[in-house]
Amino acid sequence: MNQSAFARTTRTIAGWAVVGLFFFPIYFWTSVAFRNAKDIFNWPPIFFDFQPTVRNFEQVFGISLGFDFGNQEAVTPGGGNFYMAPRLWDSIVVASLSTVLAIAVATLASYALSRMAFRGRHQFVSWVLSTRMMPPVAVAIPMFFIFKQFNLLDTYTGVILVHALMNLPLAVLLLKSFFDDIPAEIDESALLDGASRWTIFRRIVLPMAKGGIAATAVLCFIFSWTEFLFVLTLTQTGLKTVPVVSSTFVTSIGTAWGNMAALGAAAIVPAFIVILLVQRHLVRGLTMGSLKQ
Amino acid sequence: MSVAQVKRIAISDSPWPWLLPLIALLIVFTVYPFFYNVWLSVHEFMPRTRSLKFVGVDNWVQLWNDARFWGSLGVTFAYFAVALVIELALGMAIALLLDAELPGFGALRAVLSMTLVIPPAIAGMMFLLLQDPQFGVVTYLLNWLGLLDKSTPILATSSTALAGVLLAEIWQWTPFMVLIFLAGLRSLPAEPFEAAMIDGASSFQMFRRLTLPMMSRVIAVAVLLRGIDLFRVFDYVFTMTSGGPGTTTYTLSYYAWQQTFSFLKWGYGATLSLTSLIIVMVLAEVFIRLAKVRW
Amino acid sequence: MRDSDRKLYLASLTDRLVKGQMGRRDFLRLAGKLGLGAGALGMGMHRGPFNFVPSAAAQEALQPSADILKWVADAGKPFAGTTLKLATESTPPSNALNSQLKKYFEEASGIKVEIEVLPLEQVLQKLTLDVASSLGTYDLYYIDQSWAASFSQDVFDPREQLQKTDLAMPNYNIDDFLPALVDGIAMYDGRMVGVPYDIPIFIMIYRKDIYDELGLKAPATMAELASNSKAIMDAKGPAMAGIAGQMKSGHYSLECEWTSMLWGHGGSIFNPDKKFVGNDEAGLEAMAYWTELKKSMPAGVDGWTWDGQGQAVAQGVAASMLSWGEFFPYFDDPSQTKISGLCEVAVPPAATSLRTKDQTAFGETPGVGHQGGSTLAVSKYSKSPDAAWVFMQWATCADTQSLITALGGGTGPTRTSVYDDPRVKANARVGAGTTRHLPVVRETIAKHMGSEPDLPEWAQISSDTIPVSLGKYFAGGYGSAKEAMDDIATQVDTILKG
Repeated sequence: MNQSAFARTTRTIAGWAVVGLFFFPIYFWTSVAFRNAKDIFNWPPIFFDFQPTVRNFEQVFGISLGFDFGNQEAVTPGGGNFYMAPRLWDSIVVASLSTVLAIAVATLASYALSRMAFRGRHQFVSWVLSTRMMPPVAVAIPMFFIFKQFNLLDTYTGVILVHALMNLPLAVLLLKSFFDDIPAEIDESALLDGASRWTIFRRIVLPMAKGGIAATAVLCFIFSWTEFLFVLTLTQTGLKTVPVVSSTFVTSIGTAWGNMAALGAAAIVPAFIVILLVQRHLVRGLTMGSLKQ
Repeated sequence: MSVAQVKRIAISDSPWPWLLPLIALLIVFTVYPFFYNVWLSVHEFMPRTRSLKFVGVDNWVQLWNDARFWGSLGVTFAYFAVALVIELALGMAIALLLDAELPGFGALRAVLSMTLVIPPAIAGMMFLLLQDPQFGVVTYLLNWLGLLDKSTPILATSSTALAGVLLAEIWQWTPFMVLIFLAGLRSLPAEPFEAAMIDGASSFQMFRRLTLPMMSRVIAVAVLLRGIDLFRVFDYVFTMTSGGPGTTTYTLSYYAWQQTFSFLKWGYGATLSLTSLIIVMVLAEVFIRLAKVRW
Repeated sequence: MRDSDRKLYLASLTDRLVKGQMGRRDFLRLAGKLGLGAGALGMGMHRGPFNFVPSAAAQEALQPSADILKWVADAGKPFAGTTLKLATESTPPSNALNSQLKKYFEEASGIKVEIEVLPLEQVLQKLTLDVASSLGTYDLYYIDQSWAASFSQDVFDPREQLQKTDLAMPNYNIDDFLPALVDGIAMYDGRMVGVPYDIPIFIMIYRKDIYDELGLKAPATMAELASNSKAIMDAKGPAMAGIAGQMKSGHYSLECEWTSMLWGHGGSIFNPDKKFVGNDEAGLEAMAYWTELKKSMPAGVDGWTWDGQGQAVAQGVAASMLSWGEFFPYFDDPSQTKISGLCEVAVPPAATSLRTKDQTAFGETPGVGHQGGSTLAVSKYSKSPDAAWVFMQWATCADTQSLITALGGGTGPTRTSVYDDPRVKANARVGAGTTRHLPVVRETIAKHMGSEPDLPEWAQISSDTIPVSLGKYFAGGYGSAKEAMDDIATQVDTILKG
């Protein structure tokens, strides 16, 4: 498409402006993380002109950025209430492992759904999708009882399971469409050569669907990273993820906005890195095989 | 399991061994909760005796007569419809805009996806702060533009509260649509467009006659995925308005949560959840048929 | 919190200096980075290591007393290795316990204490699940006064627990708890639902500078409260409103403010026949007054819980509030607010008339000083109730509560003796974590306290029925206050019948 220089410039500016608009809340939130409380509440609001402080981060991560690292207790003697570094780690563990589990189970299932015709396949996929339709609160309570029964309450295993589960419908749906994109003829000729289904799956299909799997994994990761109600219900003091602990900052004498923003801003980083790592696949992969008519 | 057995399974063409882990997990974690909720919905928790009592269809009768339920259903539908339409339209527009190799556009696409990694519970708090009637940036900007009277608190005024919650929703999820649509646009074949160009078609015509039809399935899947989650919206309402003012932002999911945990009405909470489930299932089934999606 | 953190760190630095584990130069360097000017430090150094802290004696003693710790060690020994769990609201005492004090208990007893700090409604969710399943995933419950009736059967009565002499803390003195609080927070149906743990209560907080400038005096009556607020609004508004409120629709805070208005005009929530009477003459008078008073509030008040209300005063947007006293130490913190030292406190304005307990039902006690206290209790489902009881006694004994008040910053103590504790009094100066408002808090508890009714349905009525309908009223959803109140009456009737 030939575009005049004028059109190109307009389009460039428009693109930057639109994304800038979407980015603005993130900028503001991050800037709140660097403010003292009295710089957060102002009329008219302050956008740039405030005395920056790293205090919020120091409290949330229990390290002193302003002074020496040898004295970490300095910031939070005995580990203050806002010390959240371990919770960030919990989030990373839960999101990564639940993604691995969801992808493992979903690739197997999706391959079968893509390659093997059986009666009721369409209904089966619809059923899998329908398991995502239950309001979370209705799943959380029975889950609480099952977990208590099997000692999974307040454990990594429990939360990882439930997050993997929550992501299965999405993962199955997406992965099936990626497998659908890979011509079935490849499988068939390999079968004729005597390869087993398992070999075909491992050696041919999986490598070819790498991009799609990466895109799916990112979405699973994000949904686990941001989930709230399951973690709230199924954990106590053993572990907690970022969305749930962020409500700790709402205290009876006001909300510690600065600390909350510090944790929120820091929590963008790991997940965003994951996105960047697979960005190429993400944009290509999300077509969901939908163009194959 | 012997080696021979493993081998037989590996070479067989039956889908079931492949599907077994999935089915096992789904049965334990979703089929059981479903029946548990059905069972709960004909019981009610008795706070004084700390036990569940069989109440038959009482909960369902109560549901039918509960004005709050009908109100929350209305709010949920409004939220669902407005959010979906805006996210689709805006998502498509931004995807079309960004689908070009202009200075910095690669970075822009990455930055846009940042909104997705922020937990909705935190996004709700962000927008609570941004829309604070006294100190909020959004309030300030709207005042400045003359779109909002200074004395109107966005989240505490009946006519604007839902819009305030939707702002967070749309901000967070439009980029999701953009990502999906960008992916779709990227994989469109070039030939039809070149042919159309030679025929002198305008870009709007090309969009109408080529892009949209070819993207129809991408759009359908996006509608399905987002639609299901929209119907269960909880986090934004929970953090931003607690359903207020009055009942103007009560969604079904929030109402079910409140009945369950704040009022200890486990049976009624389960009834509300099941109702929500049934509605989504019916909607999804109708949509799948209308859009002719085949899995 | 920040100031107390700093104090504790200073104390530990000083400790190391005194024990010879740290050079004096390092000490000065680190202390200097805490924001203490070299001058202040230098002067202190001549007179001994503790003198640079304003209240030297108090700082020295900001550790649990040795006697208490010895008892903890003895009583806790059989339970060493046990882990106790407690879910609590994020309040100053819980935060002080969790981050600064529980380690002393853990070291002495060998019992591990895990405290889960959450916003109020999430605590309720956790308790509900635990109680309904009788699973004992928590050993101790934090019980807000509005839930006392709901959970009264699920916890031990501390008076019974005290009978076990081998576990009883000497001089625990359960009679030291302010009688009004035991009555208002803990007692339900003849049972004591734990012991009073924390007492946020409505007091009058106002900007002395603004009041002086306009020649106003702390309001003695409800009418004065309205006229003072209007005078400020007229003179300074809209940049500064006369008074801030907590009026977020559907939130418990709106109900709290309503009760204060209602009781202050001689109304009550229930009559002796257990009927909702917020729609009687006194009730409507209160609504008329409140609707008028709202005109002297900032525009954002409809969207605020106590959080926004406190922020409005802290940032100088409103000149007063009739609200939780526990905000006051925060207002005095110069690193957090623009009004450090500018606020004063007073007891709440007198009611136009006041109903007595006999004229109400469910133990409702009218009073302008609405209380939002909570108790701490051992769960009946706990697997280690004895260890939990040892912890509970320690956490609520006079020594610990004094430390909580001194370190945690200005929370309302529930024991008489704590108000007189020198460590607590030493903090009665302008600055973060001040306790200079506590005499007013004490007087308010004794003379002006209002307590909500106790009934199992109260959680629903107070956090939903009333605040949702009131929110609807203030958003213009009803034709009149009478219509709104009548609607609440109908709804409450239905709930009580069901």
